[in-house]
Parts: sequence; C-alpha cells; structure tokens
Amino acid sequence: MRPQKGLPGPAPDSSRESGRRASVRGGVALSVVLVLVGLVFALMMAACGEEEKADGGQQAQGKQVAIFAYTREPITEWDPAVEFAEGIITLQNVYECLLKYDPAADEFTPVLATEYERSDDGLTWTFKIRKGVKFHDGTDLDAEAVKYSLDRTIKIGKGAAYILDSVKEIAVVDPYTVEFRLKEPAPMDIILAAVNATYILSPTAAKSHPDDWFTQGNECGTGPYMLEDFQAGQQVILTRFDDYWKGWEGNHFDKVIIKAVPEAATKRQLISKGDIDITMELPPEDIEALKKDPNVNVMIEPSFQNLFLVINTKKKPMDNVLVRQAMCYAYPYEDVIKYALGGMGSQSRGSVPVGLWGHGDDIFQYTTDLAKAKELMEQSGVGPGPHNVEFAYASGDEAQRKSAELWKANLDQIGINLQIRPGPWGTIWDRATTADAEDAQGVFSLYDWPDACDPMAFVQPFFRSDGVLNFGYWSNPEADKLMDEARRQSGLDRKKAAELYVEAQRIIVEEAVCVFTFDQQYAFVLAKDFKGYKPNPAYPHVVWFYDCYREE
Amino acid sequence: MIAFVTRRLLLGFVVLFGVIVITFVLTRVIPSDPVAQWVGERASAQQRAQARRDLGLDKPLYVQFGRYVWQLLHGDLGYSLETHRAVASEMLDRLPSTIELVLIATLGSSLVGLPLGVISAKRKDRWPDHVSRILSVSCVSMPTFWIALFLQLMFYSWLGWLPAGGQLSTEVQLFHEIPKVSGFLLFDSAVSGQFVVFWDALKHLVLPSMALGAWGVGMVARMTRSAMLEILNEDYMTAARSYGLPERVVSWVYGLKNSLGPTTTVVTLSIGYTLVNTFLVEAIFTWPGIGNYVATAVTTLDYPVIMGVTIFSAASYVVLNLIADIIIATDPRVRL
Repeated sequence: MRPQKGLPGPAPDSSRESGRRASVRGGVALSVVLVLVGLVFALMMAACGEEEKADGGQQAQGKQVAIFAYTREPITEWDPAVEFAEGIITLQNVYECLLKYDPAADEFTPVLATEYERSDDGLTWTFKIRKGVKFHDGTDLDAEAVKYSLDRTIKIGKGAAYILDSVKEIAVVDPYTVEFRLKEPAPMDIILAAVNATYILSPTAAKSHPDDWFTQGNECGTGPYMLEDFQAGQQVILTRFDDYWKGWEGNHFDKVIIKAVPEAATKRQLISKGDIDITMELPPEDIEALKKDPNVNVMIEPSFQNLFLVINTKKKPMDNVLVRQAMCYAYPYEDVIKYALGGMGSQSRGSVPVGLWGHGDDIFQYTTDLAKAKELMEQSGVGPGPHNVEFAYASGDEAQRKSAELWKANLDQIGINLQIRPGPWGTIWDRATTADAEDAQGVFSLYDWPDACDPMAFVQPFFRSDGVLNFGYWSNPEADKLMDEARRQSGLDRKKAAELYVEAQRIIVEEAVCVFTFDQQYAFVLAKDFKGYKPNPAYPHVVWFYDCYREE
Repeated sequence: MIAFVTRRLLLGFVVLFGVIVITFVLTRVIPSDPVAQWVGERASAQQRAQARRDLGLDKPLYVQFGRYVWQLLHGDLGYSLETHRAVASEMLDRLPSTIELVLIATLGSSLVGLPLGVISAKRKDRWPDHVSRILSVSCVSMPTFWIALFLQLMFYSWLGWLPAGGQLSTEVQLFHEIPKVSGFLLFDSAVSGQFVVFWDALKHLVLPSMALGAWGVGMVARMTRSAMLEILNEDYMTAARSYGLPERVVSWVYGLKNSLGPTTTVVTLSIGYTLVNTFLVEAIFTWPGIGNYVATAVTTLDYPVIMGVTIFSAASYVVLNLIADIIIATDPRVRL
C-alpha cells in the first residue's frame, strides 16, 4: 500500500486514519501556536518599548541628550594636531581654538583668547589668553599650553599643519600672553580660527602619556564636552564637562551622541519620527519630502565648497581665449543646479564662493547662451571642428558626471566634442600636473574648499603662474601681481586684500581660464524642538551642541 | 572518514587560495587611488611618495602579493585606508554582532521553515500547501534589502513597534552597564543578569534577523517539502504506520528525521549566504557588524577591508561546507 497525496489511500482502519489526521492537525496547530506565540511576544516587546519611550527617549533619566546622525564614522583620528577630515564634527565640541570666525559678518568671536593685536608690519601678533579656563584633566590653560599645542602641530607636520607655515616662532611673553612672530605677513586671526590644526590641548596630558595616546581615542581639551565612550565605526558619546569656563547656566544638553547612520532611508525615518535631533547629507528628493514634514525643520545654507572646471590654456583649441569664452557660454548653469544638485546650489561668481570675503558681487557671470557661443567659435577662426577636448574628473561623483554630460550636449552644438574621462584621483591628478601641458587633459574638474577662511585657497594655487594646482597652465603677470599683493595685504588690511582678490578674479573670468559652475548648498534637517543651531560654512557640518537646546 | 576530511580540507585551501588571488588582482585592477585615500587629496608630492612606500605600492605586484599572503598567514590583514586601524582588529570587534545576527536569523528560519515544509508536504496540493509555497517562493525571490526596508518602514515608521536600527537604544546605552564577557550581547547580558539590556538587544534583533532569515525560511521549507514528499512514499513509512505507531511519530520523527539530510546542507550553506546578505541588511539597520563595515568600505574603495572581509566570508563558506559534508557523512547510508 502506498499512500498518496497526503494519505488519502485505502483506510484499513478508520479510527487510525482519523487519528493520523488528528495528529497532522496537531502538527498544524502546533505550528500555528508557535507563530502566534512569536507574534504575541513581538507585540509585548513592542508595547514594552512604547512604555519605555514615554518616559525615556531623549530626556532619559532627567538628562538632556542630543543625537546627531552623521553619514560616516564621526571621527577616525583623535589627535587634534593630525585630524584633517570629518572628525572636526566631534573635535569642535571637545576642543577649542583661540578664536572662532563668522564669515558672514567677517567677525571673530573670542574663545580661548580674549583680545589680540597686530604690529604695524603685520609680522607680530599678540594674543591675550583667557584666565580661569580648565582642561578636562583639571589643569589650567595658560600661554605655555597654547605654545605647546601649536608647536606640537608644527612639529608633527601632518594634516593641515601647513597653515602654520608662516609662523617663525611662538613666544610666551607672560603667563597669559603669547606672541606669534611670523616670517611673512599672514592673517593669524583667520589661521588660528581654522577648523583644523589649531586646537589647544593640555600639555600635562600630552606629556604624561605615550605619543599615540590621542590617536588611541583619548582627548584633553577645554571644550564643553568630554569623551565618555568611543565605539569605532559606530558612535561617539560625549558628556558635559562640569568645569567648562562658560558655565552651565540655562538650557544645555548634558550628553551628546554622534553616530554613523550610512543609509539615507534610515536617517530620514529617524528624524521624521523624532528619534534623532539633527542629520544631514540626504538626497534632494528626501529633502523635498522632509520640507513638508511637520515634525522637522529643514535649513538650506551656503557652503564654501564649489566646483571648478579648469581649462587647459596651452592646448589647442583652448589656447584661443574666444574658444574658452564660448565654452563658458555653453555651460548649462541652471540645468546643472537643477538636475545634478537637486536645486541645492547657486551659480558661482568668480572663484571665491559667496559668503567668504574676497567674493565679488559684481564680477562678470557667464550665462548659458548657445548663440553667443557659436558666434565666438566663428570669430575664433579655429574651424568648424569637431574639436576633441578631454574632460577629467574623479570617478564616483554623480554631480560631476551629470554636469559633464549636460555640458557635453551643449558643446556638441558648437563644434566641440567633449570626451568624458573619469578616473581615480591620483591618476587624473598626476596627468593634470605634468610639466608638459600637451600631455594634460583639456578640462580638469574638481571641488575646492578652504582649510582656513582665506580666499587665497580659491585663487593662488589655481591661477598663479607657479601655483601648485595650475591645471590651466595659465600665466598672467598682472594677475600674479594682484594675487601677491592681496596675499601680503591679507595680514595687514583685509578690506584692501578683498578688493585685490576681486580684481584678480575679474581677469581670470575675462580670460575664461575656468568655468565657475556652482557654489554648493548644504541641507540640514532638525527635529522641530531642537533649537540654537547656526550652521557656519567655515566649519562644515559642525554642530556646537553647547549652543543648542531643546525647546520645552 | 579521516581521508575524506583531509581531502575536503585540502580542497578548501585550494579554493581559498583562488579567492585570495582573485580578490587581490581585482582590487589592484579596479581604478582607485589608495595613496590619496591614505594621506588625503591635498597631500604634498613628498607625503604621497612616502605613503606609496609605506603601503608597499612601489614594489612589483608579485612582491606585494607575496607580502600580503605572508602577512595573512600571521593574521595580519593590513590597515584600513580610511581609519588607519588594523583590519583584523576592526573585524574582530564587529564579528560577534554579525555572528549573533546570523545565528538568530538561521535559527529562526529553521524553526519556521521546517514545520512549514512538513505541513506543506503532508497537505500536498491543499490550501496549507499553497499558502506555504507562496510564502516560501516569495521569501526566496524577494531581494533581502527590499524586505529589510519594508520591515523597517512597517514596524518602525508606521506601527512604531520596533526600533529602526542599531543594537541598543540610547537610554540603555547611556544609563545601563553594558556587560562585556564574550562580545555576544544577548549572551553576555543574559549571563550577567542584565535583563533590561537583554530585552533591549532582543528588540533590536527582531527586524534585521527577520530580513536576513526570510531567504532561509523559503529555502528550508522548499527543501523539507520535497524531501518529505519523497519519504512519505517510502515503504518504511507504511511499515511504521502498519505497526500502529501514531501518525505524529511517523511523520514528525521518522519522516522529518530522514528528510533532514538535504535540509541540513541547505541550512548550513544558507549561513554563508546570510553572511553575505548582512552587507545590505546591516547597513540599513545600522548594525555594528562586519556587513556594515564592508558596505562602507565598498563605497570608499577601502581595499584592505574589502579583501579582509571577502577572504573571511570565503573561509566561512568553505568551513560551513565542510561541516555540512561531515554531518551528511555521519549518516550511515552515505558512502564516502
């Protein structure tokens, strides 16, 4: 006898058959019960979770806790002299510098320095150090500590240490006065407010531990928060430093958690449900949706990051200025901002981004005008083409890829065939900086941002004849002179320097050495009750949690 | 038996060596710039040259490969280009979380998949069978990341029953002592009597393990069903019944036991597959395991990390395969 199909075969014994059925039913029942138990279990857990949340969440046990969901690891290098990346979002809450800079108002806020003055020749800067400031190890801040910290950065020579290159000597005049003696005039106020390399740390802590103590995940600054726990790859937990010199009067957060949440969909759900207080780096479509969400505030703010397309001025046909101008007229500025950035940007005006001193509101701006571009191509006499122009950018960036393709479509119409060649940074960089301009690419695309709030970073390296990033192989003695004088004046008379930078940019734009595409904007998404946050483009992505609070 | 295991072990080493060669070549062939990653885009030419020497990239490829294998034999997987920390220690830190997740997912998928398969077989072509088959086909064919996103949206955003991700909630992390005994959070919190932590960790495990286990449920149910169908028709089953054994014993003991062979293989191999699926699921649920680790490394082309995790995954696959073979070999009906 071979029972078929779930045992309906000849049943010799009906009672046994029914028993069999019953036990099968028993099996089904058992599974159903198991599943149900599982579900009830899940529901119970959920209910429990709800209860906990009602009295917990971000005000757990009477403590105010702020949570910041960042895309990547909040810090990878804990040594404040070395860190040259996104770790600033953590370091800025743990360490302090002598000054803080507000680029919009072009003003300095005294932090660890109370006042400062510059000698007439711009070669000596004297800073008064704040009294009554304690490091997290309990020792006092003094001029010696300032000298020690900055000498240490210079000696280690990693990261952004080069911004201190113009310093000849740091001298302690008295316990609360420190003097910077320079090799050449430099804007020391801006340099000492930089986001990297100028943090002040406790000499006692540094000297009493091995050299890699900081790198191992330790800190000893003067900032409002101390490191409580660091889980590499995941999160940083900061807790308030009771002896912070500004005190804890008023509404402040007791603890701060900065965690890595790589997935945009997860970040969006977390902020929308109110489980985190602030997040950023969401795709434009998520930002659009979140603008309509009643639980969050969306802030769109300018950044100091912009995109340069540097044109090789020695290569044919771009050695002809009319061709370069035609290329500028062919660039689809509005479309790129709309489609490649999701609207989060504004067309550049010259090389210095909007909001930074040295930016010129009246510098000429090319528009997208294909008729004008064609006319210029005809005037140039380079022939109908098509002329091949190689275009390089660091592979992997969507905004640059889209921008290149949109531009290519327009250039096709004016007789230029843009050959888009993305590559790894090192490879395209090596070719773009070869001695012979003929071997370099036709157009080199890259983002620029400043290490200190100095427009120099947007001008000298790219457009001075001997600039280290002179991808255009461009040389103009008049512009060189303006840039040199601007740099000298930046340590003496910033207003004058700004004017000179604008003049230099006028020549650069006129000569069409570079297509100045867009100044990027960043979107920040905040929980509705999270207040006090003021984005500062000089410190990208940094949230100073001491200034923030939860609205009751 | 010993000869069999030795043979399989040797074969495993050949496979692993192949994997090492392929990943090594691939990570060198794809366009990336480890030097710029190591020192940053704005480093001077001098710093870049120094980094090239430090990373050993100035040597010919075969020397680099020899050095890599030599270090690998000493348990050294090199340094992450992004964090500058040792890949081996970073992986060890994250491994317990992943193993915990994978084990729970596998256990769950077997617990659900096995009864589903048995019921399906016993009720062939009736509605329980149809339901179970639709369920298992969906489980196998829906992309894991999609299931993960859907579960997150449903149970976190809409229903608000379970957390969106992470391993512990904020208040537990801040105000409870997190026990560290073995690194396995559930186990550690249970043995140290930290029930609040245990409960919280369990809640955080539900969604990611459901997303990860779905594929296994489908596979196990299908495999059990077909094996059971075959066995239900065997003479010894009829014999068992004619001895008057209750049907419960006949099908759930005799039948299931005999159909477990292929199912065991599937379960063991599904652990390997689940391990690979953690790459996406962990990134979505912000799970602090090696899946999330390598997902980040892939986006930044951090090749020492990619290689390390790939070799680890391949090694796990080989070992699990060997275990599956040994389990089957213990069945006296199997001749080696």
